Amino acid sequence: MALDKMTDLYLRTSDPYPLQSAAFNGLHEFYAHLREGRLTTTRCLGCGSVCWPPRRFCPECLTDKFDWVDLPKEGTIHAFSIQEAGAPQGFLAPLVFAVVKVEELRIFSLISCSEPKKIALGQRVRFTTLAVTNEPGGEKRMLHAFEPF
Amino acid sequence: MRRVALVAAGVTRFGVRKAGLKDLIWEAGKAVFGSNSRVRPKDVEGLVVGTVMPERTANQSHIASLAAECLGIKPQRLSARTEHMCASGSVAIRYAHSFIASGLADLILVLGVEKLNLPNMDEALFNMGAGVDRDWEACYGLTAPPCFALAAQMHMTKYGTTEEQLALVSVKNHNHAKKNPYAHFQKGAEIDQVLCSKIIATPLRLYMCSPITDGAAAIILASEERAKDLTDKPVYILGSGQVVEGFSLASLHPDYSHWPPMKKAAGDAYAMAGVTPEKIDVAEVHDCFSIAEIIAYEELGFCEKGEGGEFVARGFSDYGGKVVVNPRGGLIGCGHPLGATGVAQAAEIYWQLRGEAEERQVQGAKIGLTHNNSGMGEHLVIIYGAG
Repeated sequence: MALDKMTDLYLRTSDPYPLQSAAFNGLHEFYAHLREGRLTTTRCLGCGSVCWPPRRFCPECLTDKFDWVDLPKEGTIHAFSIQEAGAPQGFLAPLVFAVVKVEELRIFSLISCSEPKKIALGQRVRFTTLAVTNEPGGEKRMLHAFEPF
Repeated sequence: MRRVALVAAGVTRFGVRKAGLKDLIWEAGKAVFGSNSRVRPKDVEGLVVGTVMPERTANQSHIASLAAECLGIKPQRLSARTEHMCASGSVAIRYAHSFIASGLADLILVLGVEKLNLPNMDEALFNMGAGVDRDWEACYGLTAPPCFALAAQMHMTKYGTTEEQLALVSVKNHNHAKKNPYAHFQKGAEIDQVLCSKIIATPLRLYMCSPITDGAAAIILASEERAKDLTDKPVYILGSGQVVEGFSLASLHPDYSHWPPMKKAAGDAYAMAGVTPEKIDVAEVHDCFSIAEIIAYEELGFCEKGEGGEFVARGFSDYGGKVVVNPRGGLIGCGHPLGATGVAQAAEIYWQLRGEAEERQVQGAKIGLTHNNSGMGEHLVIIYGAG
């Protein structure tokens, strides 16, 4: 469906998620990889640095040339907080927010779990995905997340 | 650089206000011009407005010109809006300071204004997510409380800071706010009330968080020469520093209880002012969450790293201690209308250094400091001195 047909249904200011399609997002391949069950990020073709989150300009070597690399699917909880009240419109508490250490990278994410109180510092978690509402136009949207195992 | 002074200040009542954006602008205008009969709107050469999200809360952009029209100001030298999330008001002051110091203008009004409360509270909370990275953070429902909760978790783990110490910041600031007629909360608080309040984001409880507040504040800055004509008691900006090192949780210093950019911003401000931390009589710091005030004691040099919890527990940051921190009640007691906060902090220091803070007066205060941040990696410190 063409976007202009969606204008009466969709307001960008009330959509909490990034637009993930190529029409709106230069990092659209990240999301395509998520839909394939892959957690990836960009590697700079100039200096080889791998960073999080993915980016399209390298401040070290000033290039805009990148390729995609797969990240390990496991990490450890570096810091976390369980939000029990005051979640914004569209989100339901409790929400377990964490910074997950994956190799040398720190990845902010939600922890999917049924027992938030069991989450601990240093705990091992693995990559998973969360399906969220579709983009106007119908393309599926996903976010990366982690879960205890 | 020319010296720059504050010559007028006014603040609206902060709270869940039965008022719109323009109502708040008008109120702040009446308050600031009411504080100094020698300055009229037609004299003001420049206007800087610190405000974060009128686009979201009032469907309104183009704020500087709208505010100029509301206040009868016709800027001939500078007209701008600053948006830097929670530090927008202090960034506006830094703009005005630099314009006057450089000689580009002589008299500038700085307004901070924010209308945050909406018919739907969940939407007001949703709007706060606009301050973190939409693509990688806000998409999960992240807003400020869990971010600062990570700092609290690390500070408690690393330094043994206790929940009681976090609560004591809230008790102090709520009790200070009791004496502030402009504060959102004016009933004070007991430690049990804080410790029994509901968890917002572990380990932070409701009373350890600043609320969603509407409000506005305004100050007028002048060159030293103009200031002498406008008031007998100018309050000078002695120094300031602003440092931004990291926006997202992925790029900040990995120890979230350690805020190097704050230490750097404070160091720059102290060096420019030619003062040391021991010389500060009164400080308005950014206690968006009680942990932030504890870390502020450390990074501002009021105590050693890791001793912030002890500093509040021993009463060092209260009247009769080493430095009175947040006499107006801080963000926890006054509320935090984003763009207005930094300007309201400056207004409090203006009154304190002129001896006009009434029940909140810090006796003999000569040097004051404000600290405003917009996340754990972004800090702005300004030091003021009585004429």
